[in-house]
Amino acid sequence: MHTHALSMESKTLPPQAQRAASHRMRHALPWLLLAPALLLVCGVLLVPLGVGVSYAFQSMSMDNLFGEAGFAGLDNFRTLADDPKLGGVLRNTLGWTVYSLVFQCGLGFGLALLLRHSGTGGRRLQALLFLPWAIPSVLIGLVWKMLFSPYTSPLPHWLAYLGVLPQAADILADPDLAMLGPVVANVWFGIPFFTITLLAALQAIPEDLYEASALDGATAVQSFVRITLPLVMPTLLITVLLRSVWIVNFGDLVWIMTQGGPVGATQILPTYLFSTAFTDLNEGYASALAVAQLVLLLVYAATVLRLRRRIMAGRTEEST
Amino acid sequence: MTTVWMRRAAFTGRWLGLSLYLGFALFPLYWLLKIALTPTRLLYSEGVRLWPSATTLAHFAQVWTTTQFPRYFWNSAQVALGAATLATLAGALAGYALSRWEFRGKASVSFVLLVTQMFAVMLMIVPLNRMLSGVGLNDSLLGLAVVYAALNVPFATFLMQSFVDAIPKDLEEAAMIDGCTRFQAMVKVVFPLTLPGLAATAGFAFTAAWSELFLALVLINREADKTIPPALLSFITKFSVDWGQMAAASVLLLIPVCFFFAFVQRYLVAGLTSGAVKG
Amino acid sequence: MRKIALYGPLLLAGLLGGGLAHAGKLKVVEVITSPERTKLLQTQLAAFQQANPSTTVELITIPWDGAFEKVLVMFKSGQIPDVIEMPERWSALYVKGKQLEPLDPWLKSSKELATLQKSVQEAARFGADKTYQIPYGFYMKALFYNKKLLAQAGVRPPSTQDEFVKAVEAVSTKVPGKYGYCLRGGRGGGFEWLGHSTTYGGTGAFFDKDGNSLYSSAAFQKGMQMVVDFYQKGYAPKESISWGYNEIVTGFYSGTCAMLEQDADALIGIAEKMNSKDFGVVPVPTGPNGKGYPNTGFAGWAMTSASANKDEGWKLIQFLSAAKQNLEWAKVVGVLPIHQGAEADPAFAGEHWAGWFQTLKQSDKYRQLTPPVNLPEWGAMYDKTMVETGQEMLLGKRSVPEVAKQWADTLTAAQRKFTAAH
Repeated sequence: MHTHALSMESKTLPPQAQRAASHRMRHALPWLLLAPALLLVCGVLLVPLGVGVSYAFQSMSMDNLFGEAGFAGLDNFRTLADDPKLGGVLRNTLGWTVYSLVFQCGLGFGLALLLRHSGTGGRRLQALLFLPWAIPSVLIGLVWKMLFSPYTSPLPHWLAYLGVLPQAADILADPDLAMLGPVVANVWFGIPFFTITLLAALQAIPEDLYEASALDGATAVQSFVRITLPLVMPTLLITVLLRSVWIVNFGDLVWIMTQGGPVGATQILPTYLFSTAFTDLNEGYASALAVAQLVLLLVYAATVLRLRRRIMAGRTEEST
Repeated sequence: MTTVWMRRAAFTGRWLGLSLYLGFALFPLYWLLKIALTPTRLLYSEGVRLWPSATTLAHFAQVWTTTQFPRYFWNSAQVALGAATLATLAGALAGYALSRWEFRGKASVSFVLLVTQMFAVMLMIVPLNRMLSGVGLNDSLLGLAVVYAALNVPFATFLMQSFVDAIPKDLEEAAMIDGCTRFQAMVKVVFPLTLPGLAATAGFAFTAAWSELFLALVLINREADKTIPPALLSFITKFSVDWGQMAAASVLLLIPVCFFFAFVQRYLVAGLTSGAVKG
Repeated sequence: MRKIALYGPLLLAGLLGGGLAHAGKLKVVEVITSPERTKLLQTQLAAFQQANPSTTVELITIPWDGAFEKVLVMFKSGQIPDVIEMPERWSALYVKGKQLEPLDPWLKSSKELATLQKSVQEAARFGADKTYQIPYGFYMKALFYNKKLLAQAGVRPPSTQDEFVKAVEAVSTKVPGKYGYCLRGGRGGGFEWLGHSTTYGGTGAFFDKDGNSLYSSAAFQKGMQMVVDFYQKGYAPKESISWGYNEIVTGFYSGTCAMLEQDADALIGIAEKMNSKDFGVVPVPTGPNGKGYPNTGFAGWAMTSASANKDEGWKLIQFLSAAKQNLEWAKVVGVLPIHQGAEADPAFAGEHWAGWFQTLKQSDKYRQLTPPVNLPEWGAMYDKTMVETGQEMLLGKRSVPEVAKQWADTLTAAQRKFTAAH
């Protein structure tokens, strides 16, 4: 935790008498500002979250679907450790998240860079370029499912013609290729997210920095690496963190396009959770899975946030 | 030194790149349009063709007159706008607080906000439903909007925190020396500079609420309060998928959304930053 | 004076409340939804309200995709309707959870429902002794075939399993780019492992008399192997491993695959998109003992045990299930109606309905077979296990005997549990 903010404040403090009063104000103000957000989140979600987590310690199955659930201690977590399918599900989830993220982020960043220098023409195109983000996920899944089927779209035929696919077949039916389907749909959906966020961050970089470095003789690539990347990094990291947490929980596309199949090749955590809770009717185990997922994601988030803080601290040290 | 040739190459390269992105983004939407215009009898026999041999406006007519899509659209718009406004406002204030202060409990706040994003919502649905019934907000658009707002606030908070972080503190300090309170400094100095960030946050909260399926399906029973994603599911009956109507409904949806984006992106590109930041 | 001011409103509220309790409000939920069904249902409900002015009916329409999950959450959160459309596969769960009200007390004295076919009454009892729903019709499998493709392959519509296998092979090998069988490997694909197995099994049951699952028998496994062979030999498209209902029906009417085993409700969809001269319907193929076992399911109207208006609820169920309304419903929905003699209606006289009515008429040759839906475990077995392990078999990752043993063990255990509790 860096303390330079407080030190900045003390430079402008008024005389002793008022110091105490504004000190109290200062400590109250952040909480006041946080109040609406905390009120919403705690008021609406905290209790259901607690109940949902409590399922992990109960034995819930179709036998007591509507009645009292028995206390099960850590049984559900023991099942977790022994679940043969879990390894595959975690692997799929990792692949799903990493591939979706890398391509969304990379392509989104690329688009943001392109748009930044494209003036009014680019601005007019933005409404069209960002459309995928506005499509409900149900529709995205259905359209892409259609686009991958050789009976209802020319795409597999084109891919076969270009040699990308050995034949014009539906990749969603091939256990080795099926995951690519939802990934492509997810990338299509997610590019606008990164473009918009990074564009906003890019806007905040003053032009003079680039002018100055151009005068110093830096190439475009050098400007990018030395100016753009570092200044965009804090936003980028947060965006990546939030988006990856979101993707890990995003089961709609996979559910609609492949249902987790064939043979569990596209079974990711959210779809696995869903079928455990609503088909196997084992909410206890589903909750244990969710708790485990929660822990993993918290560790991941803590790591990313610490990295980000280090970068930001480094940057402020440079500027002072 | 950039020569004319290099600049021209960059220009062409840029527009080539943009066209590729545009093609990728628009092809599925074009496909939806094509299906919306294809008569049902030709849907499968001409599935692969880029344009049907005969077109029809029957699907659009049916969606407009026989389904309640205009109503569902209005419901979705209300819920999404409400949720986005609430989440963005709360998130902006909270994000500012997290950015500008160090205080005890800051880590706990971040923790609580993060945790609610990371636990599978589907397991919270039954207690959530019960809770909403308890306050009379079940089966209502307002209840749904509140839930969406709560789900999007953490994201809005962290995103806004990040945008506020990028604004140097000198600006508020300068304003406060000039006599503003901190709150005034926040509203008059910082937020205008984060307008692109605010717009982005609002946009994301909006589309998250707009697109959400499971909660909308489960929390709303009344036909009159249905939102779009569950309504789209109704085109998938047990017996067939009515692609023509579903595509027509989707195309109809896209038109206002396009306008909405055109409106929002004006703020995304607000180039207000250039002089003030240097200080 | 103050007492009147205080107690007066309470008394009034009590009187009004009591009055309102008699003027019942019924919440009805439909789950197998389509625009035509909803329209007809609303018409019938309006007619009911006219005949029963003290009752108001509110219809909640739920899209089929996601209906199971939504209804489950509704019940668990205490939002329980009065009357609900119940597919048979869900019933076991709700019956076990004591959420459905036994209808026998009312059914016994019902005049309108005295003419129900015996098979309907049996089905509604789930192998136990109480009636938990009034089915509104049966979904029975028959064989759809593409006349052109079969003619091109030089085969006649099959009537036995052997002829069926030969026909599938013929179309797949002799007609380039076409397949003999529309295989459902994806969602709902449990169905592939039922029909053919029970036909080869030849006993018309899923369990032997000791309650052991017949999946451990060679005959059942022969049926399973047949499906696996179809896929591996390329008699069904490669994509069919993830085909659900919509895809197999589409595969059929787009002329990609020649034969399809489905219920009469598929007829409605297919007749819209295919020229009626191009397809026909025959009863399901018969097995080695000369008998066929068309798999049959049903859906119907049930009343919840939590309902506060049970008498009105029964009146509604009785109304919807009465001969006139049921016939209307069956025609629109595509099920076989439930009252005796209803098939005589000219709407069912079309050439394509013949497949089902032949099945019904020759009741010694074709015996309707309902899967063990009375077992609460059946839902997960059919929807999840059979689909996943089925795909494993199709891809050759696991052998038929191995998977069959897994199913047999699970089902036998479930059956033991059920018989012990009843």
